[in-house]
Amino acid sequence: MKLIVRDSKQQTSLWVAEYIVDRINAFKPSKDRPFVLGLPTGSSPELVYANLVKSYKAGRVSFQHVVTFNMDEYVGISTSHPQSYHSFMFKHLFQHVDIPPSQIHIPSLENYQRYDDMIAKYGGIELFLCGVGSDGHIAFNEPGSSLSSKTRIKTLTKETIVANARFFDGNIEAVPKSAVTVGVKTVMDAREVVLIADGRGKAEAVRQALEGSVSHMWTVTALQMHPKFVMAVDEAATEELRVKTVKYFKDIEREQGTPKAKL
Amino acid sequence: MAATIQPPRTQSLPTDKLIRLSNCLLPVDGRLVPGSLVINSTTGIIVSPQDLFYDSKLSASSTVDLGGRLLVPGFIDVQINGAYGFDFSDTSKSDDEYAKGLRELNRQFVGTGVTSYLPTITSQKNHVYKKALPHLGPSARDPSLGSSSLGAHVEGPFLNPDRNGIHPHHVLQVPKDGLHSLDAVYGKDNLDKNIKMITLAPELLPPASLPSLPSTLASKNIILSAGHSTATYSQLISSNINMVTHLFNAMNQPQQREPGIPGAVLSDTSRTHYFGIISDGVHVHPANINWAYKSNPSGLCLVTDAMSLLGLPDGEYTWGNGESIIKTGGVLTLKGTTKIAGSCVTLVECLNNFMRYTGVGIAEAIKCVTTTPARMLGLEGVKGSLSAGADADLCVLDVRSDGSVAVEQVWKFGVKVFETSGRKGIRPGVVEQSRL
Repeated sequence: MKLIVRDSKQQTSLWVAEYIVDRINAFKPSKDRPFVLGLPTGSSPELVYANLVKSYKAGRVSFQHVVTFNMDEYVGISTSHPQSYHSFMFKHLFQHVDIPPSQIHIPSLENYQRYDDMIAKYGGIELFLCGVGSDGHIAFNEPGSSLSSKTRIKTLTKETIVANARFFDGNIEAVPKSAVTVGVKTVMDAREVVLIADGRGKAEAVRQALEGSVSHMWTVTALQMHPKFVMAVDEAATEELRVKTVKYFKDIEREQGTPKAKL
Repeated sequence: MAATIQPPRTQSLPTDKLIRLSNCLLPVDGRLVPGSLVINSTTGIIVSPQDLFYDSKLSASSTVDLGGRLLVPGFIDVQINGAYGFDFSDTSKSDDEYAKGLRELNRQFVGTGVTSYLPTITSQKNHVYKKALPHLGPSARDPSLGSSSLGAHVEGPFLNPDRNGIHPHHVLQVPKDGLHSLDAVYGKDNLDKNIKMITLAPELLPPASLPSLPSTLASKNIILSAGHSTATYSQLISSNINMVTHLFNAMNQPQQREPGIPGAVLSDTSRTHYFGIISDGVHVHPANINWAYKSNPSGLCLVTDAMSLLGLPDGEYTWGNGESIIKTGGVLTLKGTTKIAGSCVTLVECLNNFMRYTGVGIAEAIKCVTTTPARMLGLEGVKGSLSAGADADLCVLDVRSDGSVAVEQVWKFGVKVFETSGRKGIRPGVVEQSRL
């Protein structure tokens, strides 16, 4: 794996966006050979999307031949609800770029049973962009989720519902009680996983992901088994790591360079 | 007759006719932004771009190129007494003739850009209300009818005789029994179905009913507006009344120790005070309009207070109560006096005056004839809005070299109902097949 450490959330998200732009352009996607991209929602990805939109508007990348699969969506609120992940993706990415709507996939009650097959039909996901929860969850795979899980319905924990109430005018009753989510295995099946984490709140999850043991109590740790895993974090998110760990990865980055080492 | 308003369907179906209005400038947060708007011509509602994006079964079947012109919500006038020779207060003719005249007015009036309005009845004898109001309730949801009534505005007869303006003294009344007086004069049925706004002088109300009347009426979706009144600053502040009829006209003017209604409306920030104001260049000094807007920008609703003489030639005309009005250009006076007797300007002329008086650009000024009156009427997001789910009542405006605007097209419930013909240098809207 690779760890990329940048000073701020802004710089981290810029690095991730540039990395994705480079990967799409290097892939030379075409109608018959699209670039298949897995996408998350949340505050860390929001800034990545803002940078992707900037790159698109500057003519540095096109999404014409990109196929996307989102990780998750609430069950029980309409797709046009302002807090739905449909709304999030439309607001922050899709409406600003040239991606044809027919190439976008978001899991739902209707399609979740076929979701992994739909991904397989496109030849699998080339790059899965992920966030991570402070309890180490990836997508809605909360602590205790099977590390070989596929796309399915998950009941949200009381903790998640309470935490999400802030997005629903503080009304716990209004927060959806379940979600459809890709499984840990769905993410693991991608040919590359890029995870972004920022802030002190994510520091323990980052420590578990890097220094902990593989455990379904921190589902992010499954990515230790992934052959191509890049983790991009800001300084604040490294605070629970051993100095030795951070130094090691910084040395590696210096030695090997990264696609945009100057960023 | 009053039509029952059914809540319209907001979700678009694949069988609906969707139209994309493209290549236009839209007012967004006080700025003009290039963009497009998709409307549902079947439901008469503005379509959410997100729904259109995700739902592969929905697509715009035609595109109208607006040639870079402005696309704004249709205007709302909350005080207008008549137009094109039809006076809402004139019930001297038969019911059928009244209904016919009203239909004709609505069809012509929509061409001025006013897509919804409150037909306003000045102070009258009781029988006039009983006869006219059943015609003036909310219009049916049908674009072919032209401009829609959102319910009637009854300006009187509970007005202060000291600030009567041109409302004749002999028809003015005192609401001594509060709501019961209103019931008796307008009719209970009209209060329940046909009236949207009541202008009265709050100081005439019995002290017991003043605090509760605004909320009682609000529960019937009726706005109580203070006007033709000698109310003091503190009387208005303590009244629970959040709307004022034609600010500065027919009220006490601000004095150093008694700011009056204008002082209350323009200085009190403890709640939102809405106010109508006539920017016809005659009723209110431009500086007062500028002052009012700068003090309380989110409360200002431009109104015409136009009379039925709007669109008719100069001369002497008889008013409903048998008195004569002299029309000299845009100025109306009561015969033999210098009293101003309403205006005969269009709302877009008021809007252009307003922009000149205040230096405010169209993207911000447009709120005074759209968003602000809609919010005042409790219709935010339904009328006077370009948001998804709002009624597709729209105006296409041309900006002239002096910065003023002219109405080029009017759309009502997603259907084009008016277009100026043969203007030079303007490419007419081109309808063409298009993909999403």
